Amino acid sequence: MSRSSLYEEEFFPSPLRQTWMEFKRSHWAFAGLWILIFFVFVIIVGPFLAPYQPLEQSPDNLLLPPAWSDSGDIRYIFGTDSAGRDILSRVIYGSRLTFGISFLVVILSVSVGVIIGAYAGISKGLRSSIVNHLLDSVMAIPTLLIAIIIVGILGTGLINSIWAIALAMLPQVIHTCRDFVRQESEKAYVTAAKLDGAGSIHIFVKSIFPNMVEIIVVQSTFALSTAILDISALGFLSLAAQAPSPELGAMLSDGLDIVYISPWSIALPGLTILLAIISVNLVGDGLRTALRRRLQH
Amino acid sequence: MLNYTIRRLNLLFFTLLVLSVVSFSLAFLFPGDSLTNLSGVKSPTPIQLASLQESYKVDSNYFWQYIAYLRLLLDGDWGISFTSQQPLLDDLSTTLPATVELSTYAFTLAILIGVPCGIIAGLKHHKIFDFSILSASLLGYSVPVFWLALILIQLFSLQLSLLPLSGRISLYFDVPIQSGFIIYDIFQAENIDKTAALRDVFFHLILPTLSIAIMTGTIIIRIVRRSVLNVLEQDYIKAAYGRGQTNAQVFWKHGLRNSLLPVLPLIVTQFTTLLTNAMIVEVIFSWPGIGNWLIQAIYQRDYPAIRGGMLMVSSLVIMFTISLDILIRVIDPTKGRKIRVAV
Repeated sequence: MSRSSLYEEEFFPSPLRQTWMEFKRSHWAFAGLWILIFFVFVIIVGPFLAPYQPLEQSPDNLLLPPAWSDSGDIRYIFGTDSAGRDILSRVIYGSRLTFGISFLVVILSVSVGVIIGAYAGISKGLRSSIVNHLLDSVMAIPTLLIAIIIVGILGTGLINSIWAIALAMLPQVIHTCRDFVRQESEKAYVTAAKLDGAGSIHIFVKSIFPNMVEIIVVQSTFALSTAILDISALGFLSLAAQAPSPELGAMLSDGLDIVYISPWSIALPGLTILLAIISVNLVGDGLRTALRRRLQH
Repeated sequence: MLNYTIRRLNLLFFTLLVLSVVSFSLAFLFPGDSLTNLSGVKSPTPIQLASLQESYKVDSNYFWQYIAYLRLLLDGDWGISFTSQQPLLDDLSTTLPATVELSTYAFTLAILIGVPCGIIAGLKHHKIFDFSILSASLLGYSVPVFWLALILIQLFSLQLSLLPLSGRISLYFDVPIQSGFIIYDIFQAENIDKTAALRDVFFHLILPTLSIAIMTGTIIIRIVRRSVLNVLEQDYIKAAYGRGQTNAQVFWKHGLRNSLLPVLPLIVTQFTTLLTNAMIVEVIFSWPGIGNWLIQAIYQRDYPAIRGGMLMVSSLVIMFTISLDILIRVIDPTKGRKIRVAV
């Protein structure tokens, strides 16, 4: 009797659950996850939270300081900018725009990158070696530089910069996937599937891909922080979103002219970007540590 | 080794070829006439037009046009810029040194901060110092560079009025551009107070250098720390302790070199990221470098300049990386393949 109940009490977590338990052990990573969840929440319900429209101007309230300063107004918690637009609303809409686009870019480039990476990992011969070597040398160029160049070629604009950043991040994703597929292809379980007569596509989908999901997630979080940085940098340089748009980077460059009289108009959007990137990095670090610990056990 | 070098040089050659093909095809993809985009001459006289058509071989097919373009590139005739009407190569040779100079100082600073801090954090693993360095570095590599630059300007230039806001040197120093490297140019210049000029240049350098160096420095801290931690777990470190060596002996004799050698390539590859950050920060500080120049070219749709700038920057980065690969192979022959680790 007691034996069987002992067995029932024994807990065998699945690999995913193990990773989650390891992840929860790090308080920092967990805090990062909460901040990230908060941002996702803001992205989804942003329009209901924002007290004003992002482009709505109020000529009577120009350059109000934030509400916590003496001359602030409680109706404008973060103050207003030089056109009397509410900074809180702009930051909310800006987070929506900046992070929404970053998520989009990451999903785009990861899904394309995984397919190409898998192909590069499976295929052999001269053609794949040329592709791989070219890829390696392109990898050395930072994504932002590639994005600037692509925007230069395509012309400025938000849509063009989405393509540019997605394209620029592709080599990194392809590289990771390719290396992983190659490394796994030598393991016994893939050989076993091969001996059963599975074709290379079948092997990838059924054997390698399930093991790859975690790597892809970790890679995506780092890609996300790069994407946020890149899209706001391009916005700041007025290469992506243009001036009246509430994109966080564009807001920063908008506030540049009045930085002397209203420092908060660049401090608040910048802090938002900083907080978002920190949370993404914390989650990414936590996930990677959790994965490493799980694989060590 | 020879085999490896040849393969790398081969790769370099092909990558540069691909880049030149891309830059050539850009002339056709950009709006407007391809000959105008290649040469940069907007409204040529009939005589000019004839000579341009002759040198770019417009009448023959794309392949021979490309060969003609390649020959002109190698001859140093990159076309002229739409806006400044100067030869592109002249523009590039004045802006590029400014960027390289700024990046080099920033990179040196980043290494000087990053390596010692990383080592100390690794040695004091899970102590207060380690945690504080780690949190500071998390902050450091998450902060957007352009925002950091703005905050530094706000603090040191506008509030405290300690440091100059923009540029490389105050306008009252008349330094003729010779090499593009400002410090060299100051020594070459005549009729100026060299000490005062150098002081001025130094003050102008502080803010841009800091804002770029902080991010790279914190990444280096994390790379070095991880490597020190890895090395300290190795058996030979335990063996060294077993022989009765002190902490300091173990660290200086066995720990230091073994932990720095594998991360050398990782650290040096950060230079390209730093270069990109430098290009953005240049815009903020009106630094007369290639980033500023390229972004102005994009604003003004100066197609020859975009083409030339893109070709120059990407070739430089590729050449830098590949020569680095070879150099690292010389220093550390045990390394079969270059390991890249995300930070």
